[in-house]
Amino acid sequence: MINSLRRFIYQFKEYFLVAILIIISLSLLSSNDKPGIKKLRTFALGNFAVLSEMVNSVTNIFTSEPSYSELKSENAKLMLELNRLRKKGLENNNLRSMLALEDTSKYKLIAADVISKLVNRIQGNFILNKGIKDNIKIGMPVIAPQGLVGIISEVTDNYSVAKMLFNSSLNIAVTLQRINVDGILSWNGRELIIKNIPTTYEIEIGDGVETSDFSSLFPPNIPIGIVSKKEEIALGLLHTLSVQPFADIRSLGNLFIVQIVPSIQINQLEMNLIK
Amino acid sequence: MLLNYLKPVLYFIPLAALQLVVVPLMTIYEISPNLILVLIVYFTMLYGQIYGTILGFVLGFLFDIISGGLLGASMLSFTVSVFIAGYFYNENKVDTNTATFLFTIIVFLCGSINSFLFSSIAISNPDVKLISLILEIGFLPGLYTSVFSLPIVIFTTKKGIE
Repeated sequence: MINSLRRFIYQFKEYFLVAILIIISLSLLSSNDKPGIKKLRTFALGNFAVLSEMVNSVTNIFTSEPSYSELKSENAKLMLELNRLRKKGLENNNLRSMLALEDTSKYKLIAADVISKLVNRIQGNFILNKGIKDNIKIGMPVIAPQGLVGIISEVTDNYSVAKMLFNSSLNIAVTLQRINVDGILSWNGRELIIKNIPTTYEIEIGDGVETSDFSSLFPPNIPIGIVSKKEEIALGLLHTLSVQPFADIRSLGNLFIVQIVPSIQINQLEMNLIK
Repeated sequence: MLLNYLKPVLYFIPLAALQLVVVPLMTIYEISPNLILVLIVYFTMLYGQIYGTILGFVLGFLFDIISGGLLGASMLSFTVSVFIAGYFYNENKVDTNTATFLFTIIVFLCGSINSFLFSSIAISNPDVKLISLILEIGFLPGLYTSVFSLPIVIFTTKKGIE
């Protein structure tokens, strides 16, 4: 009996092997958030990023552009400021009496270089050369001078991983600037879309999209892009909007991490309310 | 035998750095080649299906932890796709399999399956259509990856990397 079982296993050993390896892979897939796995990833990522940075510095010799990091930082700050002012202008037109609105806080920006990218149609990630030592925390927004790029998803001592907008696991609460309508922005593998916006709202191609006041991931009023296409679905009752991001995410080399973690602030507020 | 596994791991380190740093510069609409897969398929054609399956699993694991992606996604997709590639292995036709355009076809098939599986696992958005998954996310990266197998076909001598 045992011999015949052994013979059977030996005869189909490759199938048994692949089945075992698939089971291990699936079990690892379901345990991505376990602390042990996270530690292992952090260790491997931190060490390999050193090599990636070396290769990146060699690559930069061929693809480098003049480094204007200070100017870019200033540009990014001005972009945030401009967007805040633009928003206020729109609000001012709509609500003339409300001139003295509370100013949104100013955020500290940390310049970071992209040292490697994981690019595919579903999961877009950057590895950046700033980590815990630079006060980077999970959840901090990542921006380019033109607008929002992504969010920090993992941090090691010297490096961090940022999920870019082109990542199907990133859903962002956004507002259509002109009409002040909220929606959820997501990546469908081909384009950024906002689903289920009622057709009763008069949305125009070119309307600006920015992070929403309701977002627990990002601070409000960070520009994202413009509406590039609208499609009617569900018997013409709802719109699906395509969004063209301001930032050319594919070719970014220098980014800024906004030193704020909105979700932590919200959590703290909620905790205070409970107390 | 251990050396047989050590060699591709040594090739993997610089190749993974290229995959994460240089390959993103060559993407066309988020379609990128997978250099790691070309390496695994090559060694599978040299040493067989079981060897290749284990190698795919190990290198998939390593790639997952260094790329910051979803742990298990590359492991699973490499394991399955290379297992399929293993059916083309024939110890009497190693030269034919690695130094002819058959190798490119195997890489194309393997790359398409790998990309399709990886995307299916990593996807968390129900809006991605099956046709898009098969054609754009599976077929095109497979095609692009197969282009990078051409240098191996052209430059591989009878003895290969050995």
